[in-house]
Amino acid sequence: MDLELLHFQVLSAALFSIGLYGVLARRSAVLILVSIELLLNAVNVNLIGQAALIERPPDERVFGQVLAIFIITISAAEIGLAMAIVLRLFRNRGTANTDELDTMKW
Amino acid sequence: MSVIVFYVVAVVTVVGALGVVLDRNVVRATLSLLIAMLGVAGIFLVAFAEFLALAQILIYAGAVTIVILFAIMLTRTTDLNINLDNPQRPVAFLIAVGAFVLLTLTFVYSDVPQLEEPTNVAVTSAESNSTGFETVGDALFNQWAIPFEIASVILLVAMVGAIALARGDDQEALADAPGEASEGSA
Amino acid sequence: MEYAFLAPAIPAGAFVVILLFGRWLPGKGAYLSIGAIAASLVIFFIALADMNDNGPEVFSIDWFEAAGSTFTWGVSVSPISLTMVGIVSFVSLMIQVYSLKYMEGDDRFGWYFAVHSLFAAAMLALVLADNLLFLYVAWEGVGLGSYLLIGFWWERKSAAEAAKKAFITTRIGDVGLLIGIILLFRETGSFEMSAIFNAVEADQINKTALNWATFLIFLGAAGKSAQVPFHVWLPDAMEGPTPVSALIHAATMVAAGVFLIAVLFPIYEATPFVLDIIAGVGATTALGAAMVAIVMTDMKRILAYSTVSHLGFMMLALGAGAPGIAMLHLLAHAFAKAVLFLGAGSVNHGTQQTDVRMMGGLFRKMPITAMTFIIAAISLAGVPPLGGFFSKDEILRAVSEGRLNEAYLVIALVAVVASAIYTARIIYKVFFGEPSTIEKVVRGKTTRVRSEAHESPLAITGPIVLLAILGAITGAIAFEWGDFGGYIGWITQADAAHGIEFTIWLTVVSAVLAIGSMLVVVRMLKSYPGSIAALRARFPWAQRTLEQKFYFDEVYQWAIDRLILALAGLVGWFDRRVVNDEGIDGPAKATGWWANELRFLQTGLFYNYAAAMAIGAIVAGVVWWAQ
Repeated sequence: MDLELLHFQVLSAALFSIGLYGVLARRSAVLILVSIELLLNAVNVNLIGQAALIERPPDERVFGQVLAIFIITISAAEIGLAMAIVLRLFRNRGTANTDELDTMKW
Repeated sequence: MSVIVFYVVAVVTVVGALGVVLDRNVVRATLSLLIAMLGVAGIFLVAFAEFLALAQILIYAGAVTIVILFAIMLTRTTDLNINLDNPQRPVAFLIAVGAFVLLTLTFVYSDVPQLEEPTNVAVTSAESNSTGFETVGDALFNQWAIPFEIASVILLVAMVGAIALARGDDQEALADAPGEASEGSA
Repeated sequence: MEYAFLAPAIPAGAFVVILLFGRWLPGKGAYLSIGAIAASLVIFFIALADMNDNGPEVFSIDWFEAAGSTFTWGVSVSPISLTMVGIVSFVSLMIQVYSLKYMEGDDRFGWYFAVHSLFAAAMLALVLADNLLFLYVAWEGVGLGSYLLIGFWWERKSAAEAAKKAFITTRIGDVGLLIGIILLFRETGSFEMSAIFNAVEADQINKTALNWATFLIFLGAAGKSAQVPFHVWLPDAMEGPTPVSALIHAATMVAAGVFLIAVLFPIYEATPFVLDIIAGVGATTALGAAMVAIVMTDMKRILAYSTVSHLGFMMLALGAGAPGIAMLHLLAHAFAKAVLFLGAGSVNHGTQQTDVRMMGGLFRKMPITAMTFIIAAISLAGVPPLGGFFSKDEILRAVSEGRLNEAYLVIALVAVVASAIYTARIIYKVFFGEPSTIEKVVRGKTTRVRSEAHESPLAITGPIVLLAILGAITGAIAFEWGDFGGYIGWITQADAAHGIEFTIWLTVVSAVLAIGSMLVVVRMLKSYPGSIAALRARFPWAQRTLEQKFYFDEVYQWAIDRLILALAGLVGWFDRRVVNDEGIDGPAKATGWWANELRFLQTGLFYNYAAAMAIGAIVAGVVWWAQ
């Protein structure tokens, strides 16, 4: 069978769900950030698949790849910043485990 | 043919992703991420997105993974074998399954006109004969120039911000110059 | 004339001005008030002349629209309304001048005149009103003025209580009035009196509804005009300053009830059953109040019960089917009663007393007051040729020849005797006989000295004299003079305008009864002082009943204590526990409780929040999907 857009999309959905699970189920702040990377990558997979398979003139299809580049860029920036925050957090609280960071509560 | 390649690479990617979220060893989880990133780069290649595959490997597999490893190194307090998952696991699992179902159904029922097989975005015709790289570059610097510039500004801002955040007070920075593994508050 | 509305408008304006700027006005606004009412009097004369030329007219302007109908307010210039305008403005003017001296030095001098203006404005608006809605508004305004003036010296608890009593008692009647008006509106679709009259004449209204309407309106009239059983507020209203008693509770406001029925008489003609009720109430009131007046000891209270009795006579005349005669008596009574009250004020001013047992022999010391008082009093008792004689005679004639049966005439004649008795008593006790003595401590020794008294100044006696003269001659307008067909015919605009008529035997009988009773009483008081005491000893229960005013107040108080206050307690409990604690505090407490329970949602843990967000996003996606 031929390679269809649906393949890319299902893969994207799978990666996204796994990443979502990671964000929600991991304890360490660092690993949560890692899972966020997975989310972003899932989106990129979908976008690239669309760029390759959608019925549009090429100069419109290239937007999928362009957008994916932007996403990579932003995620790189974000992860740098996020890690800085985690370091800060670690220095202030002595832990990077999210379930010990519960002072803003009732 | 490309379908088989796709499936193989896809499996690799998914396995890597699962490793990220399920492994009990932090470093092994990070290395699983590396594998997942490489897998994604492979997917990009299947879709004729060479430039992107390049970028993916360079940025993710290269820089991002290193950043993560550094962060892990700097935030360690105890030994390695502690439970890395939080009490919310079952709920998270349900949510993930729900998301997957929802997304898949959405994709299945969306009717987007498709081409028959993955096609390069390069324009090949009599007049111009460009490669994928050129098309992407062309788009980035002409049509999407402004977002491009903004993206670079964002990178700059993030970099400055990260430095400002991570440096802390002057005293702290000076005192921690050599080995920066300070524990607790300074 | 379309400017008739100025008659109430000018005093209304004066009220507002005095209220806001009274402090800085000359005489604290008193002169402004007097000026305003004088202006109203001038307008009366102009309107009277105009009406003689052009006939009665109605002017109105649109007020507001609601539910598809337009409501107006306007003035109806007619003989009956102008009569009232004349009475109100003239008597008000006299009394306000009198008050300049009488209320001198009072702390709230300015406020007194302000409320006088307010009252005058409301009363004038009431009598000029061309539709019942406007009339009702003015009716309430008059009640307000009365309340404020009765309770003028509210530092005295009895005054505050009296004001409250007056307002509440009349309020009960007012509810009836309102319902009656609304009933009429429902049946005819209009508040305007002319429209209602037309509908009644054309027999378009359901008889039961009409009977109920007239009865309820009569309740309102009975309240304001102190008919049994609503009469209890009027004697207590004497707590107010004497000029107030003269104006409001003798001449004007209490006449409003009589006026109301008289002006709506075309409707009442169609409900004879209610007319019977009116006659019955009037007769009872006339006789009962007169009997109580015989034993009262406070001068103003005697006059108050006398007022109630005379209002009963007016109601009786209305019940007999003679609104013109009722208005004639209203006119005579207004002037005469004003004289009596102002005279009582003058006596009070001169002797610092109001108890008649402490007075006596004042004729020599206060001649002007005495003369005017006597003239007015015997006029009301029915002595010819004074004004009251003619009106009383006409009332008796209407009762005997009209639609009522003979029993009413008997009651009326007994009432005439009773009123003669109390009249003679009050005149004799105050102005004749030996001056009473009071104990005084002079230089350490207790002796009995004659009580001091002196005649009052001109500002006080002047108005009294004017009013007395007018009161004495009111009888004259009942006769035919040239073109003028006599007051009675003029009022009712009957085709066969007629002057006063006499039924000789009745006239003679009533005059003899009146004069005879008075002479008997004077003789008893003068020559046989012990006879009164002997009578009292013979019929102690009669004495007690009369002194306790037929126990009305006691019954009412019991009803209030047992029934109304209990009900109020119940309502209060409901309001406190159910409405407040449950209804209002309830949601507040519930909110607090919920907040207390729900705060644990804020776990502070990042992953909980992230999970919540994810669930939310999924739910949104599902909902979007379902579209």
